[in-house]
Amino acid sequence: MSLPALLKRWEALLFLVLIVVVAANIAESRYFLSVGNFVNMFQLSIEKCIVALTMTLVIIGGDIDLSVASVMGMAACVMAYLFHLGAPLPLAILAALGAGILAGLNNAFWIAYVGLPSLAVTLAGLIGYRGIARILIEDRAVGGFPLWFNTLGQQALVGPLTLAILIFVVLFIVFAFVLHGSAFGRLVYVVGSNVQAARYSGVRVGLVKTAVFVGSSAVAALAGILYAARLGSVRGDTADGFELDIITTVLLGGVSIFGGKGNLVGVGLSLLVILSLRNGMGLADITGNTQNYVIGGLLILSVLIPNMSQDLRNKWKGREK
Amino acid sequence: MERERKMKKYMMSAAACALLALASQSASAQTAMATPGKAVSMVLLPKFLGILPFDQAHKGAEEAAAELKNPTALQFLGPTPQNSVAGQIEIVTNAATQGIQALMVSDNAGDQLAPAAKAAQAKGAKVVTWDSPIPSANGEDVFVAQVDFNDIGKVMADMALGLAGADGGKFAVLSASPDASNQNAWIAAMKIALKDAKYSKISLVDVVYGNDESEKSYTQAQALVDKYPDLKVIMAPTTVGIVAAAKAMQDEKLCDKVKVSGLGLPSEMLAYSKNGCAPQFALWSFVDLGYLAYYTSYMLATDQMKAADGVKFKAGRMGEYTITKDPTRPDTKGLRILMGPFTIYTKDNVEAAAK
Repeated sequence: MSLPALLKRWEALLFLVLIVVVAANIAESRYFLSVGNFVNMFQLSIEKCIVALTMTLVIIGGDIDLSVASVMGMAACVMAYLFHLGAPLPLAILAALGAGILAGLNNAFWIAYVGLPSLAVTLAGLIGYRGIARILIEDRAVGGFPLWFNTLGQQALVGPLTLAILIFVVLFIVFAFVLHGSAFGRLVYVVGSNVQAARYSGVRVGLVKTAVFVGSSAVAALAGILYAARLGSVRGDTADGFELDIITTVLLGGVSIFGGKGNLVGVGLSLLVILSLRNGMGLADITGNTQNYVIGGLLILSVLIPNMSQDLRNKWKGREK
Repeated sequence: MERERKMKKYMMSAAACALLALASQSASAQTAMATPGKAVSMVLLPKFLGILPFDQAHKGAEEAAAELKNPTALQFLGPTPQNSVAGQIEIVTNAATQGIQALMVSDNAGDQLAPAAKAAQAKGAKVVTWDSPIPSANGEDVFVAQVDFNDIGKVMADMALGLAGADGGKFAVLSASPDASNQNAWIAAMKIALKDAKYSKISLVDVVYGNDESEKSYTQAQALVDKYPDLKVIMAPTTVGIVAAAKAMQDEKLCDKVKVSGLGLPSEMLAYSKNGCAPQFALWSFVDLGYLAYYTSYMLATDQMKAADGVKFKAGRMGEYTITKDPTRPDTKGLRILMGPFTIYTKDNVEAAAK
């Protein structure tokens, strides 16, 4: 690929933004460049990072999953509820993962076999699964988990890395392979770019969508459990509102909301940009609403720039003719 | 010559004795005094930004900072209400990374804040909670309490009894977030107070949560009167909740039937206090709370006193305080500094306090 073509790629732009953000952070704060800070930076948002991986598959497949944060909350609440009924924690964790898979099967049934739009189905899921979480735990904070569980969530496991960070790294590699190196990954792109064409050429669309949505909910449930371990307690509103952060990260990564386009490298870069921006602003003592403005502004630009540059290019071409 | 040397020796040993005596005296029950002018990096972290009581606490902390001539500026950092739990954890974690020496936190994340606070302590920071403690006291050096939590419970029970009228009746609590350890402790204290036969005519029917968001508190107050048509009093132990509830009752034209009470700021409650929607409520000074929290943190971070049971210190204009074991958290190793006192506001004294 020639240099100009390379520069036009979204990932190249993201990479440039990343360099600017990192350089600004280094200039602004002497604490930025330290292993401890990098670990914190990931650890503070690691659950969202994990779910962003499956969300990438969902959106490339031409769908959306608005229910992920509610599934995170539901899984954490199922686990805490069963544990406080007296179930051993490992069993409660398995049940929570099971609840996640059931939620995914439910989503997939309505989307893949009844044919309802994923926006509507997972919006219902967002409300319904959150409802289950709230019914189980109500307005309480439930904690008191065994020490090993909290330690896994809060302390480094290998070198400076926590369990959740290790899981993210492994899942990133697995999903990169699935999406970009496997036959299944190619099917996800095909379904996402043109579902009719996929159907006519014999792709079992229902099966592909089922796999994607069950994967999305299962990983969300895992992330919910990791979140509970990191905070040491669970509430009915655990992970409330995370879906928007997750989806915007994926879109900033250059994944098209219309499906069929995007890759995990872009999403990985987008995660790094958002995390270092948040971290840098935190270290510069910029918090609260100002952080939201800056990141919101970045996301608006990320939607505007590609569209406007396409428009400009089209106009240019029109003039040449 | 010889005599002179001897003389010197005597004098020096006498001086040493005097010094020792002084030192041992200050080690016992002496009141620790603050030496101003030390550079201490400090962060004041409210539950979230954008409501008046926390701005008042900030004002008080700045007043103490000026008095103590701390050359390092105080940082007032907070999350948004929607992101309070994750935001508080993030700010505490970043403060630890920056090597902040004293963190003053009004905990809105319950024990979820404990791991991050412990990590900050491990990096050398003093963690002083104010307004709302860490329930388990893990990761906390000392808690600066506004008033005795059991007193708040009793005062709320008394106000509910008074407002419910001669026949008594049902009342409900509109609280902040389910994880706000101060509100939870006050409600628990109120429930214990209510067991007294004196309160047999009133019954607590529900506790709901408005998360300290105006809109949510408003709708929760409406939902309460829908659910309990014969409700007499809404008790809101939060300055956001009480205003929202009073406004909801005013908008629904229910102020004759349902009275609002709890903890409120005079300046925000003036109108509702005058028009009878909230005839009686209580509060303490958040300015003083911020001031006292700053003095405590400054003296702990500069090693001018230790966080231990029985330690006495002088906090500037507010006078002398003693660190004790926290009786409201008996199962923990939590320490407490009790500020006090309480003021009950009615239409007669609210105007003067609102200025």
